[in-house]
Amino acid sequence: MKDLLRTSTSLIEGIENILNLQAKIESDASNKYLAMAAWLDRNGFDNTASYMYKQAEEEREHFLKVFRYITDMGGIAVTPSVPEVQQEFASFREVFEIALQNEIAVTQAINKVIAKCRAENDYATEDFMMWYVAEQREEEKNARRALELFELINENEATGKFELDLQISKIG
Amino acid sequence: MALVSDLTTKILFETEKGYSYQCDLTNSIIINFVDTVSSYKIHDFLIFQRKVNNVDILNMLYDLSDKSDAQLIETTKRNFSRNLTICEIVQLRELLNGTKFTLNLHSMLCNILKVELI
Repeated sequence: MKDLLRTSTSLIEGIENILNLQAKIESDASNKYLAMAAWLDRNGFDNTASYMYKQAEEEREHFLKVFRYITDMGGIAVTPSVPEVQQEFASFREVFEIALQNEIAVTQAINKVIAKCRAENDYATEDFMMWYVAEQREEEKNARRALELFELINENEATGKFELDLQISKIG
Repeated sequence: MALVSDLTTKILFETEKGYSYQCDLTNSIIINFVDTVSSYKIHDFLIFQRKVNNVDILNMLYDLSDKSDAQLIETTKRNFSRNLTICEIVQLRELLNGTKFTLNLHSMLCNILKVELI
């Protein structure tokens, strides 16, 4: 009798599930950045709004990369549902504090995927996920740099917010 | 009668309400549930199984309206389309989950045996 499961996919169910979860996390992250970009835009922070729009695009690319990997490996990719995301923020600074928290959560999720790959001896998926490890290192560094700029530039000074808007958009 | 013996060796799972078997010629899983026969490629079978497992039976039980007495279960490519009662959904679940278990077990055994051969 043929092994229909193995011939149709090289992903075991546990790995497929965790990759679908990762796709959802990346998709949610894209939506969160989009909401931040909109908030920044309507509050006059044009440069950081563009920066956040770019981040939203990047996260969407990350989502599509996992999504396509699942189907390329013969798995069943599940289109993630779109949950409500935070639309309003208390301050300019809070946007970047939340952005950093989101990036940390994504890094932890990626680590969990890799731990699962190692437990299941799925070295192909582990190799694929290593790209995300490098990417997250960069994302977290950028998010921290944004908060660092808030320490260096006083946003309550005359041109503080204007300068922060300019400098943060240059990160990366 | 070679076909019958082929069928019995490839039976994956059997319950009171039906049975499933694997067709190696078409690489399909055939499900016979309460006299409804449907055939699935492996992906479609897995999607079907998840769909049936995701039916919120508790919600159906607590909802006293008539519409919750049964639910339309349709699969990809519409090769199965039936209004099933709560009891039938549980029976179908048993058949599909049993089939999936056998497929997994078979795959695991193949994997171990191949490693042994190498």
